[in-house]
Amino acid sequence: MNAPNDVPRHERAAPAPSAVTVRGLTKAYGRGATEVVAVRDVDLTIVSGEVVLVMGPSGSGKTTLLLMLGALLRPTSGSIVVTGRDGTRVDVAAEPEKALPALRTRSFGFIFQDYALLDALTAAENIAVAANLAGTKGAAARQRALTLLERVGLAHRAAARPTELSGGEQQRVAVARALANDPPVLLADEPTANLDASRGRDLARLLRRLADEDERCIVIVSHDDRLREVADRVLWLEDGRFKTVTDLFIDPVCQMPVAATGPAFEWAGRSLRFCSAGCRSEFINDPGRFRITTGGQPGAEITGGAGL
Amino acid sequence: MTRIAARPPLLDSVPLGRRLLFTEPRRATLTVLGVAAALLLVLLLQGIFAGAIERVTYYIRTSPADVFVSQLGVETMHMSASALPPDTVDRVRAVPGAAWASAIGYAPGAVSGPRGRQLSYVIGYDPTTSRGGPASLVAGRAPRPGEVVVDDAAADSLGLRIGGAVAVLGVPLRVSGLSSGGTSITNTTVFVGSDDLARLRGVASVSYILVRAGGITAADLAARVRAAVPGVTVQTREQFADSEARVVTDMSANLLRLMSVIGLLIALAVIALGLMTATLSRLHDYAILKALGASTARLAASVAVQVVWTVALASVVAAAVGTVLAWVLPLAATTIQVRITAASMGQLAGWAIAIGLLAALWPLRRIATLDTITAFRESR
Repeated sequence: MNAPNDVPRHERAAPAPSAVTVRGLTKAYGRGATEVVAVRDVDLTIVSGEVVLVMGPSGSGKTTLLLMLGALLRPTSGSIVVTGRDGTRVDVAAEPEKALPALRTRSFGFIFQDYALLDALTAAENIAVAANLAGTKGAAARQRALTLLERVGLAHRAAARPTELSGGEQQRVAVARALANDPPVLLADEPTANLDASRGRDLARLLRRLADEDERCIVIVSHDDRLREVADRVLWLEDGRFKTVTDLFIDPVCQMPVAATGPAFEWAGRSLRFCSAGCRSEFINDPGRFRITTGGQPGAEITGGAGL
Repeated sequence: MTRIAARPPLLDSVPLGRRLLFTEPRRATLTVLGVAAALLLVLLLQGIFAGAIERVTYYIRTSPADVFVSQLGVETMHMSASALPPDTVDRVRAVPGAAWASAIGYAPGAVSGPRGRQLSYVIGYDPTTSRGGPASLVAGRAPRPGEVVVDDAAADSLGLRIGGAVAVLGVPLRVSGLSSGGTSITNTTVFVGSDDLARLRGVASVSYILVRAGGITAADLAARVRAAVPGVTVQTREQFADSEARVVTDMSANLLRLMSVIGLLIALAVIALGLMTATLSRLHDYAILKALGASTARLAASVAVQVVWTVALASVVAAAVGTVLAWVLPLAATTIQVRITAASMGQLAGWAIAIGLLAALWPLRRIATLDTITAFRESR
């Protein structure tokens, strides 16, 4: 078990109820010699109102973890208990297949990398259709859509089609859609990947606000270091396991966490690690341009920085 | 742990199926037009056949007689030969409730004019009473010896005119008048005097006896004739017309059925291809909906809605074009009558929806097996 990551980091006056409790979660693809374990015996507890950022290299199992959390992929073993807004508890991993669609509509809101809005529908209809799927119909669904669009600052764009919206607006509509059925958990897959810096920062703040105001827990899978600003915890997933933060360096160029197992680069008496050869070359060409946060000690300043 | 309750049925929701169908208007239009063309083919085939049946039975349906008497075992005029003993007319006339009874002679044959030759029913009747003759004359007068009344549509196509010469059963006669409504896609009907028909055939005989009811119903009169004159076939006008329509239908049913099935198969293929290409182009959308919690049944409902919309629009287009063609075609080809009714259109639309839903099974299978994880992969 990966105990160090099992404890929420942020402190509260009164302990918040846990919204998601994961125990021994494992996902293996294939069998025998061809078996690949994407997620290995993961434990995780996320409380209401908490924003958890899951980072890690490509192929580390981040998306697999997210899919399992959202009842989109069956785990090989383990449990995922989700506590609803009304206090009811459901083990996602134990639910029968036919119950999963209804479970998804009520327990999870999904935010996709490419926004995943339906071009055929208006912004309001994209949200209303999600409400429809949970049984909210007619005027109630339409009103819900308008309320949520207002909340994300897009009430004036209710009748616009996704193709008529900017990337930032589309992602805000997608966030509003994720809230359509007031789920206790929001799951976001690379939500800022297609946004520029300014819009990415706006979205990150919106997610933070949604967690704080609604006591909703949010799990974000991303490579985007900007999201660390709004995360209560940053978890590093590698080879299907959570790594402890003290094993990590920060790339001085792109500010991405880098595992301590990779090759080190000595500079001015400091040991630096880079996520890629590109970042390393960029640093070598102009070291004065970058801020070195690690000080040569693995994780030394990371833990004091963005909530790690 | 709490079990998740089933959701209520989807009513008054975002019209997902309709929106998905019309997201790409060009594709939707092509699909609708393709299905409409297939339905129009079937509609016209059935309409032309119905029109032909109507024309084939026109003589019987417009006859003033309530009961028809024919040789025992003969129930039709088409593809039949009926011969009755001459005294049968008087025996029938003597039946209580018969206002009058008139004999007609009948021979299938051909008429020839300057522009061609056409199969024909040749009917010999008594022009002095006009019973058994044409329902009405649109030009000219009843035939005298050596004369014939020809249907106006046949006159047009054969190049005949009043006073002109025409060959009936190979014998030259003169056209004295024009009747109407007696020409179908298969044959026409001409009228001569009884004596002339006997001369043309070389034998004098009674083929059918037409009986008018006086103060009793046609069914009662038919029953009385059957009782009084054994050894003959007695039918009311409706029964005789039905028998006539049935024999023509039976002769053409296989061909008609085959053509209709081909038309419906084309519609099936068009709907299936249209739906499949539309579904494949929107797989990412379906995956998103699945990821959001849409069940396969709900997605199937949206596909079914697309089928119903496609077929409904195609039916409207086919009906509109069919109605126009039903009006235009007889003007271009006088022997063709197209009869399209609301009932035939409704029946065809029902079949089209059924085959449309059948065609939907193909894309539905793809949707049912669609992995929700597809929603997480960028597709645009």
